[in-house]
Amino acid sequence: MAPVELRLNGLCKRFRDVVAVHDASLVIRGGEVLALLGENGAGKSTLMRLAYGMVRPDAGHIEIDARRVRFDAPRDAVAAGIGMVFQQFSLIDTLSVRENLALAWPRAPWWLGRDARRPGALDAHLARLVPGVDPRARTGDLAVGVRQQIEIAKVLLREARCVILDEPTAVLTPAEAGALHARVRALARDGFAVVLITHKTADVRACADRVAVMRAGRVVGEAPAADAADARIVEWMVGVAPAPAAARPARAADTPVRLSVRGLCAGPVRDVALDVHAGEIVAVAGVSGSGQVALAEALTGLRPLDAGQVTLDGQALRAPGRPARPVAALAAIPADPRRTAIAPSRSLAVNLALKRLAVQPWRVRRAALEEQARAPIARFDVRPPDPRRPAGTLSGGNLQKLVIARELQGDPTAVVACYPTMGLDVVATAQVRDAMLTLAANGCAVLWFGEDLDDLLAHAHRIVVMFDGRLVADLDAHTATPQQVGVWMSGHAIAPDPLRQAA
Amino acid sequence: MAAADALLTGLPVSTLRGATPLLFVLLGECLTQRAGRINLGVEGQMLVGAAAGYGVTALSGSPALGLAAGAAAGALLSTVFAVLTVAVDADPFASGLAVWMLGFGVSAFAGTALVGLRIDGWMPWAGGITPTIALALALVPVCGFGLLHTRTGLRWRAVGESPEHARAAGVTPWHYIVAGVLVGGVLSGLGGAALSVDYTRTWAEGMTAGRGLVAVGLVIVARWNPWLALPAALLFGLAEALSLRLQAADSAVSAHLLHTLPYLASLGVFAITCARLRRRPGGGAPAALGALLAR
Repeated sequence: MAPVELRLNGLCKRFRDVVAVHDASLVIRGGEVLALLGENGAGKSTLMRLAYGMVRPDAGHIEIDARRVRFDAPRDAVAAGIGMVFQQFSLIDTLSVRENLALAWPRAPWWLGRDARRPGALDAHLARLVPGVDPRARTGDLAVGVRQQIEIAKVLLREARCVILDEPTAVLTPAEAGALHARVRALARDGFAVVLITHKTADVRACADRVAVMRAGRVVGEAPAADAADARIVEWMVGVAPAPAAARPARAADTPVRLSVRGLCAGPVRDVALDVHAGEIVAVAGVSGSGQVALAEALTGLRPLDAGQVTLDGQALRAPGRPARPVAALAAIPADPRRTAIAPSRSLAVNLALKRLAVQPWRVRRAALEEQARAPIARFDVRPPDPRRPAGTLSGGNLQKLVIARELQGDPTAVVACYPTMGLDVVATAQVRDAMLTLAANGCAVLWFGEDLDDLLAHAHRIVVMFDGRLVADLDAHTATPQQVGVWMSGHAIAPDPLRQAA
Repeated sequence: MAAADALLTGLPVSTLRGATPLLFVLLGECLTQRAGRINLGVEGQMLVGAAAGYGVTALSGSPALGLAAGAAAGALLSTVFAVLTVAVDADPFASGLAVWMLGFGVSAFAGTALVGLRIDGWMPWAGGITPTIALALALVPVCGFGLLHTRTGLRWRAVGESPEHARAAGVTPWHYIVAGVLVGGVLSGLGGAALSVDYTRTWAEGMTAGRGLVAVGLVIVARWNPWLALPAALLFGLAEALSLRLQAADSAVSAHLLHTLPYLASLGVFAITCARLRRRPGGGAPAALGALLAR
């Protein structure tokens, strides 16, 4: 296979009034792993979508092996040997693994046989790239890490020479991420060009040859990975030298229990017991799909309890059959706020008042709501700061800030935050994190469901790990290591179930 | 004993005869839904198929030409649904109802000219099987293998599961959606023609009597699987044959109530299937159908 050279020359792309990519140039070479870093909204995903033909550039052009090409659709890019693995996988959950591969295979014969079993090449390909997976398995039933491997296998099946991975490690455990890094290195060794879109410097250290950093739609820095220190990369990404993160607030020894969970079962969550004390930050870690989102939903009232109970300062908060009303004392920051935490077609002012509907006068005056909205909007720097704007038009980060602004009104005594910094840029992340640290310092109990282990370990007092719907570990965050937590996350540390063994 | 004999003699063939029009429609709607659209207009497509089939058979004297005309009429009417839901992106349920009403009106209007015409239809082969029955039975493996064993079928299903993901795999979704709707149109038109040309050998306004809508429901019973369309259609045919025989045997139950038997049987199986699907979600439903309902 001849090593490919893909050149992006002066690409520009606007989406209405937003400049997503501005005059970005980049060279991607075979045999090399390029880490493309940048904040959310820096344009790195858009740049790669341009290279994959999903978006057409307003200006600039693309060259492959010094020949100018034009991609009108991903099909053209695929034909030119470019493959992309998205964060949201393009596998169809209800089809089998083999059928998903057959769907993407340009040389698939017309007669496939039941469950696409006739072309044996598919099974051989699968056995080579994803050993151990059952080709007949329903794709949706497989773990995220395995599905990602299948996705990569699918891209290679289409004879890609350049593989673009969009934030591949965001959904993986540390061990799975390690395996991915090894796979990426192996691809580069075989002559493939690999682009790794990421915002983690750990990915750079693990497998990149070269680093390119984007900010505000431009490529602002490029260097061999060995020459780019982490601090320099972050400075490129943010534009200023990073401020040291605030330390976790010290905690008095014997503070009372605020949020107490006993025997909680709800959907995939099984028999969870947990206490969060005043002034304490407890982090909940787990591989995606281990039940942590369901636990957060049960605590915040989005999911009915099957059994158990939850109390806040001794008052019953949740129980089976108990109506889930919003409680001022509990700040609930759910995952996927666009879907679960706002009324998208209503204004910012109405969304900020949602938790206080019961105390509004019978005739609600819009002007009064808008007046009340100004302070929280200013406090969390929601942009644009227009109380009349429909909440659904906000960007992801600003939407998250809006939800947090609403939930932190009225001095809560406990916070349940599910991935509160997901999709936020460095500045917004710091704001959200500092808000939670301040709350804890003032005696609030904070339960923080997070995805970035380093972040959780740096700021929480305790870290609990979920696996398969249960709490499997309760560790002191001051002494726990990411590796230790990772082992619990993968479920390998669990002793075999004696009952199952007997059976 | 004699009563039981009258009830049971030739029951398998009667069942097949009653099931055949429904089987065409069921297969067609199954393929339409697998491409991600629910077409309630099949009732109207059946009606225009029945009217066109009957008219052409009466004029030409050839039942085969009649079936072809029915298929063409069904396909023509289904293009209205295809244009509405694909090109204009209109709501599929409202579009289906519109197509139904259109088909009802057009067939009633054209049908006034058919009243009083007589047709001979096919002489049954040995055992009472007619070419229509044979064609319907032959279409089951064609659809079954085509959908589940070929590349075309795989792409067809992928579009029904997720048009976005199918597009990412290099498939053009609207090609398959339009094909799904048109195949549904051809087969429901054939079903209508089979009803008027071969089964009842008459034309009456609104003669399909809800068979098209029954087919939409039975697709769920058949788990969107062409192979299972056969038992689902046979069940309806059996209930219909029984109800006709009970009427002929001067049953004490009112004929009007007996007429509802096939529909009651379908409803019963439908309820049982849906209750089971609640326990085991999905059950083969194309995911893009759920997206239609959720939006």
